[in-house]
Amino acid sequence: MIVDVKDVRKSFGDVEVLKGIDLSVEKGEVIVIIGASGSGKSTLLRTINNLETIDSGEIWVDGTAVHDPKAAHNVHRDVGMVFQQFNLFPHLTALKNVTLALRRVKRMSKDEAEKVAMEALAKVGLAEKAGNYPQQLSGGQQQRVAIARALAMAPKIMLFDEATSALDPELVGEVTKVMRDLAQEGMTMLVVTHEMGFARDTADRVLFVDSGVIVEQGAPEQIFTAPSNPRTQQFLHRVLEA
Amino acid sequence: MGWAGIWESRELLLLGFWFTVILTVVTIITSTVLGFIVALGRTAHIPILGPILRGYLELFRGTPLLIQILFIYFGSAYLNFTGVTVFAAIVIAMTLYYGAYVSEIFRAGFESVPYGQQEAGRSLGLSRFHVIRDVIVPQTVTIVRPPLVGQYISLVKGTALASVIGYADLVRQGQGIIDRIGSPFAVFLVVAALYFVISYPMSLIERHLEKRTLQA
Amino acid sequence: MEVLAYFPDYLSGLWITTTASLLSFAAALVLGVITAVFRRSGIWPLKVIGAVYVEVIRNTPSLVQIFLIFFGLPSIGIHLPAFEAGVIALAINGGAYLAEIIRAGLTKVPSGQFEAARTLGLGRTDTFFHVVFPQAARYVYPPVINEFIQIILATSLLSTVALNELTGTALVVNSLTFQTLVAFAVALVLYLILTNVVSFAAAWLGRRMFHPPLQLRQERQHGKTLLKRLTIMAGGR
Repeated sequence: MIVDVKDVRKSFGDVEVLKGIDLSVEKGEVIVIIGASGSGKSTLLRTINNLETIDSGEIWVDGTAVHDPKAAHNVHRDVGMVFQQFNLFPHLTALKNVTLALRRVKRMSKDEAEKVAMEALAKVGLAEKAGNYPQQLSGGQQQRVAIARALAMAPKIMLFDEATSALDPELVGEVTKVMRDLAQEGMTMLVVTHEMGFARDTADRVLFVDSGVIVEQGAPEQIFTAPSNPRTQQFLHRVLEA
Repeated sequence: MGWAGIWESRELLLLGFWFTVILTVVTIITSTVLGFIVALGRTAHIPILGPILRGYLELFRGTPLLIQILFIYFGSAYLNFTGVTVFAAIVIAMTLYYGAYVSEIFRAGFESVPYGQQEAGRSLGLSRFHVIRDVIVPQTVTIVRPPLVGQYISLVKGTALASVIGYADLVRQGQGIIDRIGSPFAVFLVVAALYFVISYPMSLIERHLEKRTLQA
Repeated sequence: MEVLAYFPDYLSGLWITTTASLLSFAAALVLGVITAVFRRSGIWPLKVIGAVYVEVIRNTPSLVQIFLIFFGLPSIGIHLPAFEAGVIALAINGGAYLAEIIRAGLTKVPSGQFEAARTLGLGRTDTFFHVVFPQAARYVYPPVINEFIQIILATSLLSTVALNELTGTALVVNSLTFQTLVAFAVALVLYLILTNVVSFAAAWLGRRMFHPPLQLRQERQHGKTLLKRLTIMAGGR
């Protein structure tokens, strides 16, 4: 077990967005979290790498107690994250985006960092764009650089927070392809997405989250063909019709 | 009108010009450093620091520079702080005063960087220091430049107040010349023109930078 | 406390500061509007006059402008008392800054608004008073208030032409009592009260005058909008 979430609760003001979440993830598992916007699925992801602090409960990531403020910052060593809005650093080239943390956090030499960064960029098929600035790249390319940036840190777990939602439809494929490759290599992944195709063919387990609770989970074929909970049925009916 | 007398006093005016330039350069540096530190302090969310810094901003932006200069100059004499010369008093006062305005510019600059940038930095494991130095600050440099230069233009003109406590700047030299040759109108016109010589190029730079940030 | 015996003098100093500020601001506003109109007019001599006025004033110290009017004008036969000279100088000074603020406000109204008004058949005056002005006013209000506060702070310069407004009063009391710290502290506190009263009153007015209410104080203007505002209202001169 590499991630263990125990009875996690989180409120923003008066609104409780996570109402007691329990989740354990095995090494190498690919988990896709689906649910309507505002259901709490992104918040759940963000609590796992301490971008949101939790009100109660426990989160363990490969031995790190994320719920403990003193230890929480260690989680970034093991967990990479890819954001909906890419969040590339606009003042740095693709290469520099990747080397920044390698140098500052992993304290690599310039040459070493660049070597690792080029490998990561090659992996997402963008080695030849290393010298470009984010504004000079398409949305799909930017997101692939963002993936390379996270991968270069050699994380044990990758979080994807609606990584394809801000992309034009024709650019979604190149990003999901990188994600599929990563899954195949055995990366542990937690993926919040609206791409039901990806969930169906890549996930080991699909979680349906609604109003801050995990309503239902199971293998993709079970969730997509025979959901047992009426709320899951309703949600899938809506998204698959569209 | 006394133009001949002014021409004969040109060396005094030149001297005053340099005194004004020196004061300008020194206080631009000190107020920028102070403003930057205060802006950083305001983003830090340290319990007591926030109210203290806000009090500082309120005090120095809510009262005139002239009375701050007088207060620091006469006040340090009153308290027997012998180290506080005319130059020191004026630099301290102007640094505190313009530093307050400069810090607001930096704060706005920091806030103009989307929050996702900080999150991306943190999720890569960057420390707070590195997030600020490598992610936030580089992105604020271009956007912060036009208002900063605008503030420096204000500062150039603010240096004129140094003459009130006897700093030998342009205004002071002008007054000295008037004492000897009269013609206050002509002398102050020349003094104003010399300030224009410093300030106008800065205005052009400000406008140029502003156009550049608008394009970006 | 010796200084407190002079409290009535401080109050009269505060009164002079307040009246000088209000008069200067009112005159500066008129000058600013006229100059902004000049600069937007298609008539080139007016544009040049407006541009030269703004550039000359904004690139020279207000202290020197005050000296020119108070000490300089008499040598060409124009004698003005300190208060009048000071108010005129601050009005001329503030007018240049307000002209830029107002001009920026007018350019802020999107051209689509003019087009929409025209397609609705609105005339030029109707377009200005019902479409352009209300939108520009909203944008212009915060920097105009800021300029008013800058004028209040600038009235302290009138102490250099022997006018006993607040700063002048503090100087006099200091020389009479030698209680330097208290003498200046009283004036500082009165300035703080004055500037805070103005900004609170302006915030109150802003909430009532504009629809939807304009939040001046509470609203922490963020990032880029705040920077743009700071660009046209650099503080302290």
